[in-house]
Amino acid sequence: MAFTIVCPVCGIRRSYEFRFGGEDKGPRPEEDTLTPATWCEYVHLNNCVAGIQKEWWFHRDGCGSWFTIYRDTTINQQVENSIDETNP
Amino acid sequence: MRLKSNSYTNGRLWGWNPPLKSSYDAVIIGGGLHGLATAYFLARQQKMSNVAVIEKRYIGFGGSGRNTAIVRANQRTQENIPLYKEALDMWPVLTRELDFNLMFYNCGNLNLAHSEAALKAMRLQVASAQFQGVQSHLLDPKGCKKLIPALDISDRPRYPIYGGMYHPPGGIVRHDAVVWGLAKGAAKLGIHIHQGTEVTGIGVRNKKIVSVQTDKGKIYTPRVLNAAGGYSAALSYEMLGIKLPISVLTIQAMVTQPLKPLLHHVVSSGAYHCYANQTLKGEIATGSHMDPWPNYTNQSTARYIKHQAEAMTELLPCLRGVKFMRIWGGLADMTPDMAPVIDGNNIITGYYMDCGWGYFGFKSCLVTGKYMAKFMADGICPGILKPFALRRFEQHRLMGETAAVVNYSPDN
Amino acid sequence: MKRIHKLPTFRIHPEQSLTVNFGKKQCRGVEGDTIATALYANDVRIFGRSLKYHRPRGLYSLDGECSNTLVAVDGVPNVRAENTPAVNGMTVNAQNVFGATPEFDMMRFMDELSWIMPAGFYYQTLHKPARIWPLAIKHIRKAAGLGVLEPDFRMKGKFDEVHISTDVCVIGGGPAGMCAALSAAQQGLRVVLLENRPWLGGAFEYRPSEYRNGLALYQRAKDLSKDVENTTNIRTFKNTAMIGSYNNGLVTAFQRGSKSEVFTERYMEIRAKSTVVATGCIERPLLFENNERPGVMQIGCAHRLARTWGLLPGKKAVFSIGHDLGIEAAIDLADLGLNIVAVADIRKDSYDSNLAEELEKRNIPFLSGWVATRAHGAKTVKAATISTINATRHRKFTCDTVVASAGMTPVTGPFTVAGGKLRYDKHTGFFLPYNMPPRMHIAGRILGLDDPLSIETSGRVAGLKAVSECGIPVKNLLRETQENLAKLTGPSRGTKLVSGPIKGKEAFICFDEDCTLKNIDQAMHKGFDVPELIKRFTSAGTGPGQGGIPGHNLPLYIAETGESPDRNPRPTTVRPPLVPTYLATYAGTNHDMSKRTPLHETQKAAGGRMERIGVWNRARRFSSDKNAENEIDNVRRNVGLLDASTLGKFRIFGPDALKALQRVYVGDMSKVRGDKVKYSAMCNEDGCLIDDGIVVKIGENDYYMTASTGRAGQTIEWIRYHTRYDGWKYHMVNLTDAYGVINMAGPDARKVLEKVTDADVSNQAFPFAGYREFSIQDVPVRAMRLGFVGELSYELHVPSSYMQSVWDLLENTGKAFGIQKFGLEAQNTLRMEKGHVIIGSESEQRTTLHDLGLGFLWYRNKPEAKTVGAFALKDTEHQKGRLKLVGFKMRDPKSRVPRDGSPIVDTRIRGYVCTARYSTAQKQPVGMALVDDYLSPVGTLIKIYEDGCRGNLMLAKIEPMPFYDPEGKRMRS
Repeated sequence: MAFTIVCPVCGIRRSYEFRFGGEDKGPRPEEDTLTPATWCEYVHLNNCVAGIQKEWWFHRDGCGSWFTIYRDTTINQQVENSIDETNP
Repeated sequence: MRLKSNSYTNGRLWGWNPPLKSSYDAVIIGGGLHGLATAYFLARQQKMSNVAVIEKRYIGFGGSGRNTAIVRANQRTQENIPLYKEALDMWPVLTRELDFNLMFYNCGNLNLAHSEAALKAMRLQVASAQFQGVQSHLLDPKGCKKLIPALDISDRPRYPIYGGMYHPPGGIVRHDAVVWGLAKGAAKLGIHIHQGTEVTGIGVRNKKIVSVQTDKGKIYTPRVLNAAGGYSAALSYEMLGIKLPISVLTIQAMVTQPLKPLLHHVVSSGAYHCYANQTLKGEIATGSHMDPWPNYTNQSTARYIKHQAEAMTELLPCLRGVKFMRIWGGLADMTPDMAPVIDGNNIITGYYMDCGWGYFGFKSCLVTGKYMAKFMADGICPGILKPFALRRFEQHRLMGETAAVVNYSPDN
Repeated sequence: MKRIHKLPTFRIHPEQSLTVNFGKKQCRGVEGDTIATALYANDVRIFGRSLKYHRPRGLYSLDGECSNTLVAVDGVPNVRAENTPAVNGMTVNAQNVFGATPEFDMMRFMDELSWIMPAGFYYQTLHKPARIWPLAIKHIRKAAGLGVLEPDFRMKGKFDEVHISTDVCVIGGGPAGMCAALSAAQQGLRVVLLENRPWLGGAFEYRPSEYRNGLALYQRAKDLSKDVENTTNIRTFKNTAMIGSYNNGLVTAFQRGSKSEVFTERYMEIRAKSTVVATGCIERPLLFENNERPGVMQIGCAHRLARTWGLLPGKKAVFSIGHDLGIEAAIDLADLGLNIVAVADIRKDSYDSNLAEELEKRNIPFLSGWVATRAHGAKTVKAATISTINATRHRKFTCDTVVASAGMTPVTGPFTVAGGKLRYDKHTGFFLPYNMPPRMHIAGRILGLDDPLSIETSGRVAGLKAVSECGIPVKNLLRETQENLAKLTGPSRGTKLVSGPIKGKEAFICFDEDCTLKNIDQAMHKGFDVPELIKRFTSAGTGPGQGGIPGHNLPLYIAETGESPDRNPRPTTVRPPLVPTYLATYAGTNHDMSKRTPLHETQKAAGGRMERIGVWNRARRFSSDKNAENEIDNVRRNVGLLDASTLGKFRIFGPDALKALQRVYVGDMSKVRGDKVKYSAMCNEDGCLIDDGIVVKIGENDYYMTASTGRAGQTIEWIRYHTRYDGWKYHMVNLTDAYGVINMAGPDARKVLEKVTDADVSNQAFPFAGYREFSIQDVPVRAMRLGFVGELSYELHVPSSYMQSVWDLLENTGKAFGIQKFGLEAQNTLRMEKGHVIIGSESEQRTTLHDLGLGFLWYRNKPEAKTVGAFALKDTEHQKGRLKLVGFKMRDPKSRVPRDGSPIVDTRIRGYVCTARYSTAQKQPVGMALVDDYLSPVGTLIKIYEDGCRGNLMLAKIEPMPFYDPEGKRMRS
């Protein structure tokens, strides 16, 4: 581990400078449309993909931006996007 | 090139690899401690022995063989204490029952406080334990040093020691022995343990479990237990579309070279994020906190062995003179409130879950196996396991096992 | 023992002598000796005793593959004698010896008892009857472990660390590694070269055999070393052990400091774009009965003892080898004066017949197809038996040395720890990678190469591959070099034989754990049939040698039995650190980063008891009184000063700043004004309180806000996280360190403030909750009136550089009014009397805003803001069965104060005391508790269970809060 992440602002940096921000679950749902189940899914439940996932990271010890990357959780390295997002 | 000797007297602990039958009364996914314990108790107490344990690698490959094997019953909440108390009482019993030495070393656990706030949190834990009949008491720094003479109780460390919580009934167990003992016990009672067998799908019809597909063949069964540890959440989502509130993180542990007795108790410190014990072999085994991003690698990192060295030598300065010998990682299935998800027979009839144990999977394995077996036999959740239901998350009733907000989820 | 007369390969200076004390024995060595060679020169053959059976153990290899030569040096346990330099006057002691010297060990009878301890003995035997186990533990613990570490031991020396970034990192300074480094450096790249030994040269370095054209290998090594050291863009680190490799080119190592260096050891992290592993081979131990008896050693050990340190391994030797290096060593050692009675070679063919002829020229019998089967001698070797592989013939020779080795085996740890996968290769008999980690290449003997030119060329190929990964086009040169390599001699044929025809009762596959071949058989018979499980059951490979001895023998042996379901033999997982590493070394400079407020020094000088609170150092109190009663009293009666600089302070501005505030604060932030602070809270998605603070508008779309101390580090991250999908235009600036904060509180606070500013600070001009900007003697100050401690109180936000001046001014001016500093403890009691919560003290992870009685802060009519936590707040608003925050007083006002954290019980635990203190205002203990909601109505009797109370409960009654000045007159005055 101890992998590197390409920050869109700062370039290649050590992963420990960043904070993991969860799986990419899409924009916040409208408050009025939520049920306990859909709320829970958005807030707490995860896909736990063993493979490539799109996820959020925050450059805590750097520029302070949130951005998404693709990472293969089975090798723990950032990868090029190879998920077909039009057909999830 | 050896001349074979045939002087063996005892046979294989869990027999020869059984044939995979086309149907079982229950299929347990995961040949780790929870899976094997459940299988054992299904056969022993529920008289269900037509049961298969399916293990992708070999028994004890996952968290079961990668933890630091600390056992204790000084949890924070009253939902947890009775469970762990019973668990603690089971080690000697199972040693006898399985006729296999689980090597329970009842050395007691010392947990250090490094602030007023930590002392306050310990008072709650100590008094809660005492109230429920579990031995635990507070110590001042001198009392801590009496137990662990190597501790530095001066003002020098960055987090000086304010006191500690001592829990005499705790200790360590040989984790591998538990895996092998349970496998031995289960196999003897007729349980089929299939190693090197991978589950590739779970068959559901009318919201009922009907089968489990493996790479070695299909099994018809009305009951499935997901006890796949670090892989349980992915399995649940990929095979059944059930998402769990779990993040799979790597937790690391390491050992020093063996030494003559130095630590006579388990010692841990929240402020330094470490816990340590000296194994019967003499190695100082120590664990640290986890890398805060999900992954499935089991890899260790350069950061944590360094962190651990910094922390351990602050607490126990003499350790600067010993060497780390190896570090390893294991997967921990962490939930937002650091309590497990134990549920079943509701979303899909016959589907049971015993996952999300995070740090606590080892110490809980026997007792959970016992009640999980009852759950699977009756189809009704025993009272002691009810507080761990999945629905607590959507009902905003997180367990209070961790007082503070956990730091690995973005949601804090 | 006399040393050989000067050889060109020496690394010693025989004219400079030194003394090492081994127990009571004085050993004279020379400059350049390791501890092991210094002892060996003084005829020490037994270095210590083994872990379980207390067998005598001696020098076996020179590269740390086993614990045989672990000794205690000046109080430090488990020091590897074979690669630790001898220092004049050092005290060395043998380990695991019960007795005066390792020659006589009172526990040696353990070896005779080994038969009653089959593999897994503890698991299967020691619990019957149950009562013997606790007794057995005591004995097991005493017997286990090697070195002794005293609890008050303090490691001497300086430990440092370096973090290097480079283009190419080459691991291993042998010929292949040096050629790789040179190839990369010649293309202008930055290269880091790591070598574990104190010198470069690897397997060439000590050998007199011909490189080509009459040039000796050792001379070639010297030439290459010179080239490397004269190349400025190669940074060479000798005495440097590589210990780990990780994703994206991270390599960790540590360097032992030589005399001229300022560090004892230093930890290294190297981030490289590409890595070359040229770590060569170690010898694969040959297994025979008593194969670890002192006097048995590996080829390289015997050869280097003579060539590097001038010590012949013994007087009379039997060789049992499986590789040409063994024949080469025998020839050279014979020429240097060793009496060799026989050379047995496992191989029936495929040995170098020219070398065999050389043996014959020297009248040394060369026995092809023969192998050692037993070493004789109770403490050290006295004789050896060799046999034909089919066990038809046996011969016994008197000797004091057995040079034994089954063959070579590659050092694969450096890439398997990074995720490289191994597969057995039939031709070489090696485990070779079939899947290398990205940007990692291997070169040299690790591939099975023995020909010097092939070794060097493979190094160049690997170096050029690394170059091309660094973005330099070397395609043609690389192809050319690869073609050259293809023309040279390829990998040698190797043997996979582990042992000769033996029973294996005393043939040790793992020295460190005293594990024999028979133990492996026993484990397999129990059903442990894959190497990983056998390792766990027998402990083989888990000792201080990190698996160096059993590493590749174990899977080969298991495969040989044909009883494993795993058809492809695979070594067990190797883990970092590849070389045991001091905790002191890993800790390095032991970073301790914490923050101090601008007033730190003066607070401390004034008697402040400083505590680490998160990243900050803060004063808890200013006297020895734990309850800080004087400080409390003075705030209530006169006026006090608190350094609150740790408060988080932020500016958020831009056209969408308000939207962002609406998202994270539960209140309606559109109501925020310029002259008045708005107090509000932030919740997480579960509706649980995570932060509170004030917001004030300081300009158009421009706000100033505070966060609690513990939360300040995450505030920006939090707000940006919850707006990350929105693309809103706003900016945040962390002003936490830019401003210090002074909280001046007490009935006389205004009187002090009036004297230091021209601004009108009267209650009319600057009322409660007001926000003003004015100057205190030309220092611009942001002032707000808040009431956390329940008195008339000013929070003054002062530029950090002026903090001390303003503080001193207030303190001097306030003298007339009895001003005094107060600390966190006083603040804690003051705010508690006032019913104000501290997050984490009165709340836990699952405590919602409603649970704390702060639901009124939530403004529910802004769903379009998608406020974080709003859904859960709505859901839990009337939820039953939750813990609620309440105030309580003791039923008996004279009772002592219950301790914080004490549970509240009936038949079950119903909550706990959060904070309880003696209230000077109420003249009795008061407190706050989280209790089950049905206990929360005022007047309910609650029972407190303190630790150690043995069932004697303290009784208290729920009381309305706040306990002090319920109408808030004082803070508004």
